Order: sequence, then C-alpha cells, then structure tokens
Amino acid sequence: MSDMTLVSTRIRLARNIDGLPFPHKLGEAHARKIIDKVESALAPVDKFSRYDICGLTELDGNILREKHLISTDLLSDSPYGSVLISADETVSVMVNEEDHVREQVILGGLALDQAYDRINRIDDILAQNVKFAYSQRLGYLTACATNLGTGMRASVMMFLPALTIQHLIDSCINDVSRLNITVRGVYGEGSRAEGYLYQISNQHTLGVTESEILDSVKSAINHIVEAEMRARELLKRDEPSLKDKIFRAWGIAENAYKLSTGEAMELLSMIRLGAHYGYIDISDADEYQKLVTNCQPANMQLLGGKNISVDDRDILRARYVAGQLHSIAKRNR
Amino acid sequence: MRCTKCGLREATTEVLKQHNDRIERMYLCDECAKGVNVGFGNFGLADFITGSPMGLVSGGLFGAPSARDTVCPECKTKASEFIKTGFVGCPKCYSVFEPLVVQTVRKLQQSDRHVGKNPSASPENAVTPKAKLEEELRAAYESRDYAKIIECSARLSDLGIKGEGGERNV
Repeated sequence: MSDMTLVSTRIRLARNIDGLPFPHKLGEAHARKIIDKVESALAPVDKFSRYDICGLTELDGNILREKHLISTDLLSDSPYGSVLISADETVSVMVNEEDHVREQVILGGLALDQAYDRINRIDDILAQNVKFAYSQRLGYLTACATNLGTGMRASVMMFLPALTIQHLIDSCINDVSRLNITVRGVYGEGSRAEGYLYQISNQHTLGVTESEILDSVKSAINHIVEAEMRARELLKRDEPSLKDKIFRAWGIAENAYKLSTGEAMELLSMIRLGAHYGYIDISDADEYQKLVTNCQPANMQLLGGKNISVDDRDILRARYVAGQLHSIAKRNR
Repeated sequence: MRCTKCGLREATTEVLKQHNDRIERMYLCDECAKGVNVGFGNFGLADFITGSPMGLVSGGLFGAPSARDTVCPECKTKASEFIKTGFVGCPKCYSVFEPLVVQTVRKLQQSDRHVGKNPSASPENAVTPKAKLEEELRAAYESRDYAKIIECSARLSDLGIKGEGGERNV
C-alpha cells in the first residue's frame, strides 16, 4: 500500500522477575536492583540509553511519551521506573512500570512478523540472564490478570480518516471486536481520535499463541483496511468538495503563521489523505510520521528551546510544518 | 436458576468447591450459601463462593469477610485487593488465590490455559537461522554491501520468508 494507512507496528511483552513483588508493591532498593539487572541483561542485545524517570524533567519525559517510547503510566505512576532505549529508538524496555519489564519494538508501517521476531529474540536473551515468573497453567505471570499468558500486545497504528468522517468507525470497531481486537485513539480519547490515528491491538493474551495473536491482528487490519478503502471511495463521490478540503489544508499548512497542535494534526491528516488520492505526493512516509510526532507539544518545545512560550511554539510549529512539507511533499496539479 | 442444593429458591451465588484437583461448581440461594464453609489459605479450607470479576462481587465469594481478608504470605496482598483492582502483588499470589484468580481470568480472557511461549523450551542459543540471516541482512543494509544484501535476500527467499521491508508500508 502506498497511502500510509498503516503507520507503525508495536509489539510489547510483559515480564516479571520470579520471587519479587510486582512494581506497585516494590520498595526502592529492589526496584533499583531490577533496573541494574535488566540493563546488564540487555547488554548483549544492543547499546541502550538509560533514563530513570526520577531524573527526567517533565519536558524530557513528555518527549519520550509522545514518541511512544514510554507510557503515561511509567511517567506519572512509577516512582522507581526507568527505560532503556536503543540508539535507533526501535526498541524500548520499560522497567518497573506496571510489570517489572515491558519489552517493546516499534517499526514503521505494517511489520508484525519482523517486530515479533525481534522482540522474541530480545526476550530470549533476557531470559538467559533473568528468571521470569512463569506458571505452566497461566504462562507469564503479570501484575494484572489482563496480561497473563503470553504477556503480549501486538498493535498497529492506522490512519482512518474516511471511516471517522463518515461516522462508520464505531461499526467497524464492533466488527473486529469479535476477533479478540480492541481499537482506541492514539491521540485523544474515544472514537474521535485526533489525527484519525487509531491503535488496533489484541485484547486477550491467554489461551492464544503468539502467532495466533499476530494472525488475529492481521485479519482485523485487513478488514479495517477494506472498510477504510470503501469509505474513501464514498468520500470521492463528491470529489470537488474533497479536493477543496485537501488543498485548503495544504494551503494553510504552507502559509499559516501560527498552528496549534490540534490544527496541525487536522491539516496533516487531510494532506495524508490527499496522498491516497494522488493529489499530493509524499516522498517519505517515515519522515511524514516524524513530522506528526514532532508537532506534539513537548517535541515542538524541544525543537524551539525549553523556555519557549505557547505562542512562540505555535509560530515555530507553523514554520516547521511548512518547511518539512516543502522537503517531503508536493502538490500535484 | 434454582439453587442446586435445596432446589427451592432462586440461586444468587456461584460456589466453587475444591476437592483435591477437582472443582465442583454449585449455584446457591442466599440461605444455602450461608451454610457453606468459606475460607482458605490460613484456614486450610478450600471452598470458594464466587460472584463476578473484579469489584462486582456482591455477597458471594469473597463477600465473606474471612475470605476477603486472605493474605498472600509473600507480599501481604489481600484477596479483596485483587477483587477490587484486578492486580495481584507478586507471582506467589497466583497460587495463593488460585481458584479466585482462575475464575476471574476465565471471564477476562475467555481461557485459563496458557498455550504460548514457554521460557524453559526456549533454545539456549536464541539465534535461529532465520534470525541470523535477518541480522546479516540488516548489517548489509547498514554497510551498503549490495552483494551481501542480494545474497541474504535470496537465502531468506529460499526459506520462504520475506526480507526486511516485505510487509513494510511506505
């Protein structure tokens, strides 16, 4: 597919160290030992940078959260939390979040098999150095019963503007819920996800194998992609209005003096949709997604300097969006 | 549903009674449920009355104060905490609260049997031929060793596996 409907793939495994209380019952001394143990166990995998949550500024924490390298829970509810991030930022291992270890791989586009293969190898290497809590009946033991078994959550970020605009997203969510799948907005809450970005992931982790989880997510993705494509055809029935919306978005994105996060997300979504119809060419999908991520408040603040005001941040965002679009996208006449 | 003990009144409570490895399921009315010996762990008993998953238990299972107060000897988590939050305190809790956990897990996950990866079955050397080839391919991409890229891609194809980027959407 060339329309950037399938934005990124993430697989995470929840693991805990045998014989120790789960993080919400853990004291500082044990928590610190776990971080050190996981850090040294990861050494054969790759070079990782370690960030202890207590040592992060609010801005630095939010930057990692906006990049999906850490969770909101690690940032706000994990006093002894830490994260180890690979140099290319495709692997992050959260320590002392809800579970002792949350291993995660993020890859661009749809790459479920590659992501699982990679996380599985990392998991095997960790298991050689750390004894994970495991029972024959319930599998990997986790702090919450919703993650027992494989401890695996496989998710794909999808761009679903046509289903959202035409209010078809809820029925699509109902359709795939039968496949052990949940759908939620990536930014914002509820079915009206900001930027029309949704996370599609498996619901159950127990009683299914890892490959069955991957298969059910793939089936759901196929179903949703088909529904989205049908909805995009419906949108095209009024092509003059559709083109007008997309080109207006392009015009504003190229010329605005100030852009809020929400407006930038909306404009970039319409431009991304324009790429589907061939009205706009986007040369690099990964760079485009990076543009979306960098438009989030903390990442924009990083680009502008830590003490930048909200107004200045919006001005900077407008300049940044225009500049990036100039490099990676062009309007077709 | 009628009470499976007296057969007279409407059943309001689900009861799981453990006999060694076997669990007997009963549906009891309020009156008959009162007569069931509830408690386990420290009391050496293994009768449970279950209601519904986390936080929805009413007058059932761990509605009985003694059972709700059952404590994991390892981390001091009470059964009532699990009922309320769905969280246990440590790996040991899963065996201490097993019948309750299994009942809840079955409702949450529609299964109570793990069928996925087993860490003890993992090979000592985690690097499979496929993984090794993919690693070589990744290194070849990084070093722009085009001959090596072609060679690795061909060998991956022979294995019937897509090379990196095969599924990638750009």
